[in-house]
Amino acid sequence: MSEIDNVTKENMPDENYWRGFNELYNEPGFAEQSGPEFQDKVTDEFNPEHLSGLSRRKFLALIGASAALAGAGCSNYRDKGDIVPYNKKPEETIPGEPNFYASTCTECSLACGLLIRTREGRPIKVDGNPDHPVSKGKICSRGQASILNLYDPERLQNPLKRFGDVFNKITWKNADTEIINALNNTGSKGIAVVTNRIVSPSSLNVINAFISRYPTAMHYSYELVNDSIRQSAWAKSGNKGLFPLISWDKAKIILTLESDVLNAEGELIETLQQFAKNRDIDKPDSFSRLYAVEANLSVTGMNADYRIKLRPDAISDFLVLLNNGLNGNTSAVKNFADKFNIKEKTIKYLISDLLKYKGQSIIYAGDKLPEQIHISVNKLNDLLGNDALYRKDTEKVYLHNLSTSVELNRLINNMKSGKIGAVIHLDSNPAFHFSASMGYSEALKKVPFVVTLTESENETSELSNYVLPLNHQFESWGDAQVRSNVLSLQQPVIQPIFATRQKEAVLLTWLSGRPENYNETTYYNYLMKCWEQTYYKNSGSEADFTSYWNNSLHDGVAISPKKLSQSMEVSVMPDKSLPNYDGNYILILKENVLLGDGRFANNGWLLELPHPVTKIVWDNYASISAGAAKELGVKNNDFINISVNRRQLKIPVFIQPGCTDKTITIELGWGRKKVGVVGTSAGFNANDFINYDDVFSPWIIQNVSVQKAGGSYSLATTQEHHSFDKEREQDLHLKRNIIREATVDAFRKNPNIFGEANGKGHKTFYTETDQLFSKGVKWGMAIDLNKCTGCGACIVACTSENNVPVVGKEQVERGREMHWIRVDRYYSGPVEEPKVSTQVMLCQHCDHAPCENVCPVVATTHSPDGLNQMVYNRCVGTRYCSNNCPYKVRRFNFYNFRDKFKSGYQQENLFTLLYNPEVTVRSRGVMEKCTFCIQRITKAKQDATAEKTEFKGSSVRTACQDSCITEAISFGDQHDKDSVIREKMEHKLAYYVLEELNIRPNVAYMAKLRNTRSEEA
Amino acid sequence: MKKSFIDHLLRIRLPLTIFTALAAFTFTYFISKAERDGVGYTPDQPINFSHKLHAGTMKIDCQYCHIGVEKSRHALVPATETCMNCHKIARKDKPEIKKLTAYYEANKPIHWKRIHKVPDFAYFNHSAHVNKGIDCISCHGDVRNMDKIGQMNSFTMAACLDCHRTAHDKLPDNKIIKNGPDNCYACHR
Repeated sequence: MSEIDNVTKENMPDENYWRGFNELYNEPGFAEQSGPEFQDKVTDEFNPEHLSGLSRRKFLALIGASAALAGAGCSNYRDKGDIVPYNKKPEETIPGEPNFYASTCTECSLACGLLIRTREGRPIKVDGNPDHPVSKGKICSRGQASILNLYDPERLQNPLKRFGDVFNKITWKNADTEIINALNNTGSKGIAVVTNRIVSPSSLNVINAFISRYPTAMHYSYELVNDSIRQSAWAKSGNKGLFPLISWDKAKIILTLESDVLNAEGELIETLQQFAKNRDIDKPDSFSRLYAVEANLSVTGMNADYRIKLRPDAISDFLVLLNNGLNGNTSAVKNFADKFNIKEKTIKYLISDLLKYKGQSIIYAGDKLPEQIHISVNKLNDLLGNDALYRKDTEKVYLHNLSTSVELNRLINNMKSGKIGAVIHLDSNPAFHFSASMGYSEALKKVPFVVTLTESENETSELSNYVLPLNHQFESWGDAQVRSNVLSLQQPVIQPIFATRQKEAVLLTWLSGRPENYNETTYYNYLMKCWEQTYYKNSGSEADFTSYWNNSLHDGVAISPKKLSQSMEVSVMPDKSLPNYDGNYILILKENVLLGDGRFANNGWLLELPHPVTKIVWDNYASISAGAAKELGVKNNDFINISVNRRQLKIPVFIQPGCTDKTITIELGWGRKKVGVVGTSAGFNANDFINYDDVFSPWIIQNVSVQKAGGSYSLATTQEHHSFDKEREQDLHLKRNIIREATVDAFRKNPNIFGEANGKGHKTFYTETDQLFSKGVKWGMAIDLNKCTGCGACIVACTSENNVPVVGKEQVERGREMHWIRVDRYYSGPVEEPKVSTQVMLCQHCDHAPCENVCPVVATTHSPDGLNQMVYNRCVGTRYCSNNCPYKVRRFNFYNFRDKFKSGYQQENLFTLLYNPEVTVRSRGVMEKCTFCIQRITKAKQDATAEKTEFKGSSVRTACQDSCITEAISFGDQHDKDSVIREKMEHKLAYYVLEELNIRPNVAYMAKLRNTRSEEA
Repeated sequence: MKKSFIDHLLRIRLPLTIFTALAAFTFTYFISKAERDGVGYTPDQPINFSHKLHAGTMKIDCQYCHIGVEKSRHALVPATETCMNCHKIARKDKPEIKKLTAYYEANKPIHWKRIHKVPDFAYFNHSAHVNKGIDCISCHGDVRNMDKIGQMNSFTMAACLDCHRTAHDKLPDNKIIKNGPDNCYACHR
């Protein structure tokens, strides 16, 4: 019986999976766009009319010159170049072998542990530090992509000084001398030091020393999006510490309120790891149930078992309803559900679940929600006994408080009135981050002396007198403390590439008053002294300081036992009433998890990483519901005008399924004006709307007016690429089982819910392949869809490991993105409340690979260990293989993208240092695809040979596997009976995509279980 | 008359010309193959180092200098410092050693001429071969008797595969060796 006939009502997903509106509504143009894998107009650029007007004369001259050059260059055709060994080889370096260093990420205030792989003294890949007790070996996409900033050819390379309208290079010595003089001459006028949140105790020490050296100096700090509301709510709830951390792994029921806790908020890495613990298919009883209340579809909402679509200004009403419900009064539920178009039973489920799992559930309010909501949530949690989930073993620590809006406004007023003599921007960019209506840029023009310390030029440096280049985090020393019991150390892994310095060392030099006091170890010595005087003494370590220091450096972390200050008493009632829900348009400003506060706006890897939900690249947009789009009369890509209190923004819309009507969501960090060539004209700046004085929340703006603005834009998305033609898909997709889903309850009742079939059971004519793969190692991968949140960290890891180029927005629009691994996102069900499924898709290394049969030059073949090999040197670029691949995972180099993208940006000398020397850099005209990280497999084999041990499949970890925060990906030898991969592949939930084709893929997927209520199963 | 001329041209001259050209090409192709593959390439080095003296007469182990050979992809040409381990004392008066010392003291790296090279897209690994007990001589020839180092064998894909497929015949003394992999990913990635 074939697989297609096997489909019964139980195992068939009865929804119609769709990826976007074009597909759902069968828009004209969808088939044209998505049908042929390689779109028309490939040859457009060969139009002779567009060729450059090179004259015959010039052509001949060039030919002559190049012939002469070639003749001179080929004096010895046998010459093979030089070998240049070290003069004195550093002891730890063996050319050809990587070294690993533990460090700390300073790109955001979570300070995760890093493990940096270096080759011949240059960092080439970043992973998490497995010894770090908080991040436990995992980092986010941003941390991984930070390596690209190190090799950004547009980094600031020298100190600059403004002369009129232009900046000229000056030496550090001159800059230091002039700045020290200017600081000493500020007299009674104030000096403002503006920073983001400082997580490094030693760094804060330096700033404090600076403040006390100059009595008029003040330290101001801000973060574009922060958790200060949560902090103040907890302070009012009577908490002595900041706010408690949550044991997500102990929660049976999780209710998030307007919080993207699985992608952008809180202790991201730790939360994800803890959340994934309760998504273990071997323990279906331990599954947690996630209810997400949100307005716009977020990653948390995508992964929720129940998603409640609700505007943020209705959340306080919702909490009242919940409170009543928990007290047994559910009479208002129906009215509420009808009013906001929510399913009544979902709310009832929620209430009964919260009651049933008292002390095992958690209600979590988002950072952006107002204080009163946080206080009510704390009260509810207390009422339910959920404070049992507040962590007692560790505590969040902030070394200083951020400046309040009052303080910031006072600073700006003082600047305007000439009371501030000097402003120092310490790696901060307030001219971009502060709302234009705060008038920071204008105020800055009134300040006689402005210094900006930054890695690359930005909106603030443009308004400064001096711009001083800072080290990248991989060139810096430092430490960090974000937990009461954990200290992390940061060490440089490369000498500063340019004439850059650390911000702390610059301040220390100014403090000493003499520019010549600077040397490379200035801050290193200071840091060591700080550690010796405080942490070493407190550690009670028996070792001498040098070995304590070296051990801490080696591990990247030091654990300091410290008493917790925590004590919870929730007593205070909400004191001011929130504005009521009024049905007007509401604007939600979200932090973009990839670009952060805009710091990464010149990072091609992150700009080209598809947004986890919308799959849009290179831009932000106003995300609205289909209903709102209808009301406004706009389609995707049409511009709308958003305005509130004279603040205005013209931005294209993207219609997002699952959005509440009358809400607009825009991500922040985009639309940088002063940025390198990569980030130029990427996105739209919505920072102007942030209003720190808003009654509700700085990031949730009520009563905005929205109109269609006319004109349209072009948003590039990867979501509708690589699909088959509509008609065939419509016929078969139900039976194709690309996504298999069930409920936990159904699985518990019947573990064989999907039948016994898995792709290996089919008969085949090609029996010799079975023999070929019967002995030795056979590679396979298993991807657990229960754990995958769709974040995309694997894509960045793959890009970094395998030298995948950035292609640019205009090439993505033509469907030419080069990512070897992608995350497919399918919607199912109604547009208003879609269910979302994600699926990581990469080369399946099929036993009977269809790509191999059609290659006319045998450039793609099979290895005996089950890998589908791609040989670049044989490939002539027919693209037949890609045509014949049912998974659409092969990528063709339509150009040498290193040359094509932004006029050879990726060919700059500095950029080439980034490449992994173990992987070929591909050029124009060849096909490429996932290799299962063959370089890592080979390395593991060679290590086994060198160590004279037996080679085990479990010793290989692919780059995507390493990066997966929730450990959704496993990899190994299918023939190894004790291996994890074997166990997964034999699991009842394992299935293969398109297995009815009988091409025998080697990537198994674990069907997703949704933990819905048993009544619904 | 005219017909017989064309006839002669087509039947005798043309085939003869084609044959001569082909024969010349084939002959040159095979005669020059070794040279094109680099066999016999023995360039002048910046310092006239003798492997015969060091590895042959004095029997210094290859790995004293080529330290990467068991650990890394590269065998590694030694750092100048390694030479100076002995030559701080030994033969300080010789002109070549004076040159060496000058490099060392000026902290300038020496640009040795590269002799053995596989293309960039082939990822040859020394450690995988040496740890299987394959002697350096198998590929590099009798270095112990070379005053001036040069390439002795061909380093083409054909040469690699020749040994990978018939390892027992090529290396009869090596008991642990099995045929090497001959799939693409063994070398290309």
